[in-house]
Amino acid sequence: MTSRLFWIAVALAVWAVLPFVVPRNIADLLVFTGIYSIAGLGIGLLLGHCGIVNLAQATFYGLGAYASAYCTVMMGLPSAVGFVAGAVISMALAYVIGRPILRLTGYFLALGTLALSAIASALFFEWDWLTGGTLGIGGIPKLDLFGFVLDRPSRYYFFVWIVAFACMAVARNLVNSRTGLMLRAMRDSSTAAASLSIDLQGLRTRVFVVCALFGSLAGSLFAHHASFVSTQSFTVDRSISFLLIPVIGGATSIPGIVAGAVFVTFLPEFLSKLGDIHQILFGLALVAVVVMLPDGLMGAVGRIRAWRAARRGGDAG
Amino acid sequence: MTLSLVLQAVFAGVTNGMVYALVGMGLAAIFKGSRVINAMQGEFSVIGAMTTVLLLTKAGWPYPAAIAGGALAGALVGAFIEVAFVRYMAKKNASEDSFLLLTIGLALTLSASILFFVGRDGHLLPPLGGEGVLIVLDAVIQFHALWLIAIGIGATLLLRAFFHRTTVGLSMMAASIDADGAATTGINVARMRTFTFVLGGVLGAAGGILVTPLIGVDYQLGLNLTLKGFAAAVLGGLTNPLGAAVGGLTLGLVESLAIIGISSSYKDVVAFSVLIVIMILMPQGILGRAGRRGG
Repeated sequence: MTSRLFWIAVALAVWAVLPFVVPRNIADLLVFTGIYSIAGLGIGLLLGHCGIVNLAQATFYGLGAYASAYCTVMMGLPSAVGFVAGAVISMALAYVIGRPILRLTGYFLALGTLALSAIASALFFEWDWLTGGTLGIGGIPKLDLFGFVLDRPSRYYFFVWIVAFACMAVARNLVNSRTGLMLRAMRDSSTAAASLSIDLQGLRTRVFVVCALFGSLAGSLFAHHASFVSTQSFTVDRSISFLLIPVIGGATSIPGIVAGAVFVTFLPEFLSKLGDIHQILFGLALVAVVVMLPDGLMGAVGRIRAWRAARRGGDAG
Repeated sequence: MTLSLVLQAVFAGVTNGMVYALVGMGLAAIFKGSRVINAMQGEFSVIGAMTTVLLLTKAGWPYPAAIAGGALAGALVGAFIEVAFVRYMAKKNASEDSFLLLTIGLALTLSASILFFVGRDGHLLPPLGGEGVLIVLDAVIQFHALWLIAIGIGATLLLRAFFHRTTVGLSMMAASIDADGAATTGINVARMRTFTFVLGGVLGAAGGILVTPLIGVDYQLGLNLTLKGFAAAVLGGLTNPLGAAVGGLTLGLVESLAIIGISSSYKDVVAFSVLIVIMILMPQGILGRAGRRGG
């Protein structure tokens, strides 16, 4: 246990020093890693605990971003209003749409959420009075915490990651709570869970709403970081890359979500140094992960640990 | 809303619908044969169309030979995907979701490869049957669209005959309905699964080649065709390739009638909303009888 505490302390120290020692573009990527971790966390909850493939996260990410952009730029309201408005709208929408759509299962549900993302992306494009269309909304102010302006990546980094840690704590509590137990019962045998009078539909909707909340928060954080939002950021492609985060990292593990977020933010950046071929390599890397590591990176780590423990046990015996 | 306007919308709807039908039939054939939802079905179309474009313009092949080359490219990529990836993952009993993610990854890879090797420009193909148009009650339909519809209907009928009359088609059906049972009667189940991917590749490529003279092809076309083909297949009940033809036509007509009813910019919104509503209310597809998972 002490060694575990030791490693947590080391990780925290690295986390605190990191933005000051790396170049600005890396610090910028680390901000994005935090934002993507938040968005991916919600999808991980759905995928790992409910077996739901959510391909609609860009919808809620977009709602959060546009709510922040519209409230601060068009209406001149404080940025906190944008965060809250985005969260409330996203959760309400997730509830209203989630109730009917979550009755679907398997491929049909995946396709349903994908269709939702395609609809949202078309509406973001068409409702240019609200979203600015392809021209987007620019000039979104940097966040200001009681006079301390988070205008550099190294400053914003801490804010984003503290929000991310808070979301992870919420997710962890949810999983360890009564709700989490019901989720596990539902995932392992939905019929048995239903016979124990667990409201499966309500449960799945609740997790979907939490996922939308995380997506919206991530979107608001993104808007204040990039200062500019346009339809290109909220397409079906973005929904797909959000889904990749828990898939690559491992859906049930919080370090896995962070690993997945690092993968989808850093890998394209490093591969892009190789020239135009980088998108092909990214696609191939994804295929390789899906084929070779079905439980994601964290699943592989777990297997290596189990293998080493078994070997050590074998040596002792 | 005049009669000619409605007729024009019907023409456009049937034309687009036939393309969705071809892509959707390929998707349904693959799902029927392997229980894999192929999220790269639209990439087959892009590969088929791009190969045809390159053979025609760069290699100087005659048009029919270039079309055959495009269809062959779709078939080969389909076979390669099955042999290289799906077979291995099926052996490991991979989940539904991992197959979906695999094909999403392959779709990203292929689309990026086309961007890298061919470039980001769109390309057109010459229309079949020349540039002429047919005018019915002031509504215009291109000769190419008539060819497209005729080929689409022909492909649907051929596919039906293939599944019901030929030994290979019947073996494919048997292998998908009961793999163990089929294996005991001497059917090579793995090879049948490869054939379904070849079939899916050819159908996808045909859709892509036929739509290119109308809207052009570029590296981004795949995702949209996959989504529409998916919608067509689901409307038709997913396991029934012929249902996908009905589904595709329905989708095309709903879309184009929505354009005259609402606005052209809401075409995709209407199409995908219809898809979601039908999946929830009519889980067996609009034909209803075949059942989602059954034969």
